[in-house]
Amino acid sequence: MQAVLEDFLKAVRSHDITVSSAESIEAGHTFELIGFESREILKYALSATLAKNLEERESFSKCFDGFFSFESFKERTEQAEEKKQIEQELGEYQGDSELVKMMLAKDQVALSNKMKKAAREIGITDIWFFTQKGIYSQKIMKQMGSAQIGEEIAALSGGTCPTAMAQANQLRQVRKTLQSEVQGFVEQQLSIYGANTNKRLREEFLTNARLSNIERRDFHRMHEIVRKMAKRMSDTYSKKRKQTQRGQLDFRKTMRKNVAYDGVPFETFWRTKNVDKPKIVAICDVSGSVSDYSRFLLLFLYSLKDVLSRIDSFAFSSSLVDVNTIFEDYAVEQAIEVALKEGGGGSTDYGQTFMDLKRDRLENSNNLLNIDNKTSVIILGDARNNYGDPRTDILKLVYQRAKRVIWLNPEPKISWNTGDSEMDKYRPYCHLVSECSTIKQLNNMIDDLLKVSFA
Amino acid sequence: MKNMYSHRFQSVEEIQDEFEKGGYICSKEIATCLYIAYNLQKPMMVEGPAGVGKTEMAKTTAEILGVPLIRLQCYEGLDESKALYEWKYGKQLLYTQLLKEKLNDFMGDAETMEESMAVLHSKEDLFFSEDFLEPRPLFKALKEKAGCVLLIDEVDKSDHEFEAFLLEILSEFQVSIPEIGTLTADVKPFVFLTSNNNREMSDALKRRCLHLNVPYPEADLERRILNSRVPELSENLQKNLVDFIHKLRDMDLKKAPSISETIDWARVLVLLHAEELDKEFVETTLNTVLKFEDDIEAVNEQLDSLLESVHSAE
Repeated sequence: MQAVLEDFLKAVRSHDITVSSAESIEAGHTFELIGFESREILKYALSATLAKNLEERESFSKCFDGFFSFESFKERTEQAEEKKQIEQELGEYQGDSELVKMMLAKDQVALSNKMKKAAREIGITDIWFFTQKGIYSQKIMKQMGSAQIGEEIAALSGGTCPTAMAQANQLRQVRKTLQSEVQGFVEQQLSIYGANTNKRLREEFLTNARLSNIERRDFHRMHEIVRKMAKRMSDTYSKKRKQTQRGQLDFRKTMRKNVAYDGVPFETFWRTKNVDKPKIVAICDVSGSVSDYSRFLLLFLYSLKDVLSRIDSFAFSSSLVDVNTIFEDYAVEQAIEVALKEGGGGSTDYGQTFMDLKRDRLENSNNLLNIDNKTSVIILGDARNNYGDPRTDILKLVYQRAKRVIWLNPEPKISWNTGDSEMDKYRPYCHLVSECSTIKQLNNMIDDLLKVSFA
Repeated sequence: MKNMYSHRFQSVEEIQDEFEKGGYICSKEIATCLYIAYNLQKPMMVEGPAGVGKTEMAKTTAEILGVPLIRLQCYEGLDESKALYEWKYGKQLLYTQLLKEKLNDFMGDAETMEESMAVLHSKEDLFFSEDFLEPRPLFKALKEKAGCVLLIDEVDKSDHEFEAFLLEILSEFQVSIPEIGTLTADVKPFVFLTSNNNREMSDALKRRCLHLNVPYPEADLERRILNSRVPELSENLQKNLVDFIHKLRDMDLKKAPSISETIDWARVLVLLHAEELDKEFVETTLNTVLKFEDDIEAVNEQLDSLLESVHSAE
């Protein structure tokens, strides 16, 4: 039982569910308490001990079903009848070795157990990649004693007796069945123990890869990664906010409450401090020159929007487009397509964009929307202005008003200021200019940003 | 010592039966979770939408075990003084005032400062004893001699600090009070934590709990629940009602109706002697089930087709 539990926990871990040693002990107690009597109850019980949220419950359920399935060596009915006929013709051949006997007797339980034992002996739980399937199948076959089948076949087909020949053929058939069973088993084990290795490796790769090198088909995974990051940030953010809630002593309220104690202020009341509500205005370039990146930048903005409601997002190429409503109305992929369509297409014009920004966020009649000393402005773009007027004067204005202006450039530093890139002209009016070409860099940047603006 | 953990709940089925007798119909999953939580004496974290009977589960457990239910409602800003204990400042003050006059007798013939201090030192703990302690829910739960069911409701609404404080209690079932010492529970309380998933709880807290997710019930289970709660309702009406509610849950509503709303509505039906679920009736009583004006409007628009599909399913 111990071994089963250990293997099972390994399988659970490979399904992206963290199981600490304390939890393994707990799972052990649960096992003892519930036993193997009812599969359903055992599943519920272990799920309650190990899975911590809805997501984990689902993967746990998959893992449990995979791990505790006993499908090996089941006879397909139609084959069985055929075999019966052949057997009658062949007469009584019992086989010499234990394995052959089992196979011929079709002892499903014994075979299944033998295979599992062999699998454990060769350490199947370490299987990680699909490329290892072959070697593990072979190892299991060998461990089960497949060599003996070969010997028996050789012995039988040595002579000229037709019955022996037929028996040899039958044994070949048996070996084939065994092989396919073992392969099926290994396949299943891989799906249990190696379930998420590929995913994990892929995620690691994606976080560090240049945004421009990431392909469209990875979009879903990227969304998942980005969402996780954004979630983590929002958790940190909400914590910071709470800490500032205690403010000045509310003297009147304190006195009134403490009259009963002779005016000695035992119970104090605090005027809650107005919570500093930082705003983020994010402007994202979606023009042709950064089209490789913009999809992911928008994705990042979208995910941030999910967790930080106070983010004000824009997309632009030749003019500024408010994408807040688009992000609210559509699901992620659609939202990004719509944003790209609405904002993209034109050639980049930072001058026009800044003028629009001035109109919408510096001189807006609704003062709440305007950039003020609590606002952080993030600009995501390559600063390639097609040799137009950069309108640095507006950026300067923004710089003077906002708490922070941050420019994230997806191009490598070396190509800044080459050609029509105006990075150097904008640089003096930004608190921070940074290269950001991988998701990891983007994440670090935003993390720093949040730390500063919410501290 | 006799306590609530002695010889009860031998199997999952037994729990299902006992709870059914107590008026709480639980699925096998819920029963299993209760069973291990009870036997391993672990806290149970119950998640799920509002009104599916999370709190009711704790209440029924307390009833069945015959122990008191102690409830702690969490909210933002909840701290130790509200959750664990507080000194009765008023009483302390009042006593000092009253005792002022007795002070001379009390000090007796202590002449010097040192002597007076010595006399005082020998008595000082009086004011910081349990007599002056205002017990709050957690303190009460630990003091309960025969055990109790402790319900920590909506734990996701509490602050991070309070969550950290809960950790000590949930793992050791003991708590330290600086002025008195460490208080350990004689019998571990059966702890329920409920959460509406307003925020993710910390891993440390999650690790210490068993997890149970209570979704909206299947139609079959919901009918059984109705049967036990509102037995006066006719079978036909009951079926229509549950079907209708399930249709509502499939719609995109701000707040989908829970079991508690279903039960409320059933009671209204019985009270008004309704024979069947007709349009007029639904229109007038829909506000028992739906809590938002927008939702009611949205449902009213589709009422005809909804009712038709419910009645045609018979």
